[in-house]
Amino acid sequence: MEHEISFKLNGEPITVKCPPAYTLLEVLRDQLHVTGPKEDCAKGECGACTVIMNGQPVCSCLVLVSQAENSDVITSEGLAKDGRLNAVQKAFINHGAVQCGHCIPGMIVSASALLMQNPRPTKADIKNALSGNLCRCTGYTKIIAAVEEAAKTRRA
Amino acid sequence: MMRSEIDVLSPRTLEEALTLLQQHQNDIRIIAGGSDIIIQLRDGVVKTEKLLNILAVKDLRFIKEKEGRIHIGALSTYTEIIKSQHVKRHGWILLEAAKQIGAIQLQNSATIGGNLGNASPAADSLPPLYALEATIVTRNQSDRREIPIERFFTGYRKTALKSDELIEEIYFDGLTRNDAGAYLKLGLRKANAISIVDVAVILRGKHRGSYSDVRVALGAVAPTIVRAHSCEQALIGKRLTEKSLQEAAQLASQDASPITDIRGSAEYRRKVLSSLVYQALHKAVLGN
Repeated sequence: MEHEISFKLNGEPITVKCPPAYTLLEVLRDQLHVTGPKEDCAKGECGACTVIMNGQPVCSCLVLVSQAENSDVITSEGLAKDGRLNAVQKAFINHGAVQCGHCIPGMIVSASALLMQNPRPTKADIKNALSGNLCRCTGYTKIIAAVEEAAKTRRA
Repeated sequence: MMRSEIDVLSPRTLEEALTLLQQHQNDIRIIAGGSDIIIQLRDGVVKTEKLLNILAVKDLRFIKEKEGRIHIGALSTYTEIIKSQHVKRHGWILLEAAKQIGAIQLQNSATIGGNLGNASPAADSLPPLYALEATIVTRNQSDRREIPIERFFTGYRKTALKSDELIEEIYFDGLTRNDAGAYLKLGLRKANAISIVDVAVILRGKHRGSYSDVRVALGAVAPTIVRAHSCEQALIGKRLTEKSLQEAAQLASQDASPITDIRGSAEYRRKVLSSLVYQALHKAVLGN
């Protein structure tokens, strides 16, 4: 069973022929080779597969590719513009907010979605926005500091 | 059936959805936000030949107030519920529950209709809807049914929804300023936690410091959400003090029949239940 499904991926319109009941994550990684989003829990608990769909962060493991039809999908690959990292990506580097790195694409996508919706987040807003992204290495302190800095540099 | 062989039908209007549902009712399952059924499909708990993907049916996406009644379309996400001024003013216990469901990603995709259809006894939106005495509106091609929430859930993960029906909306009489209400959830952590126990309370009909209408709904302690009738009776018309709230809260476990699972033992649930009911009543009536 295959359907042709069209959506916008990181700003570019694409059409992909795939089983319609596959998850968006499966199609992104296995067919389109967009491997920023990761599959860890496959239950919507870890956030490693987070993508921005129509302006809102969602777990791409819990969305059917059919449900992404005509939508606007952004993965970590789509955050940099013309080779320039966005404010969140830069701040993560500045703060060394990365250890093994596995959760980071999801973390950066969630944080970028937050700043798109709320340019002046409080620490509580940041913690809430990242509460669906688990990191088993860093202890979150540097991650939160990085997002605070990114919010400031974005406004400057 | 392998997931690669499942067909997905994606209607754009309610009429189209109901026609497809009628045609394929024996081998189709409805998918809304997908946050429960996709996991069930992958685990093999749910098997189906076709999925009816209703996510693009805009007719089912609304939150409105009409003559004091709040109507919530089945496809409203928890994020939409959290942002709704109607829910904030007239159904704040549902907002409190919505904020504690999963995390942002899940709140953005999970829908209230999906939460009802999935019929988990640990679904966080359900105790508030039981306390609000909500009505579920279902539709098939020819009929529209209005089902009180207590009759909609008929057993563990069982609903009164027929195979050719879908959930159109949920409505309830809005709370007013004179009403008291609270929702509390006990999970293993703050985000992305399935409830061990959760409690919603509403007290209405305030007169000289007591209430004539008390509703206490308990989640994750029985095959469906249950109302704690003995606890409610003990509070109706009574002067509410810390002591009377505490005594009434002790009665709540009479209405519970908890099981032991990975999140907590039956014994623990029973013990913690009265404490959580007391805290919820205290928060609603006397403040934190």
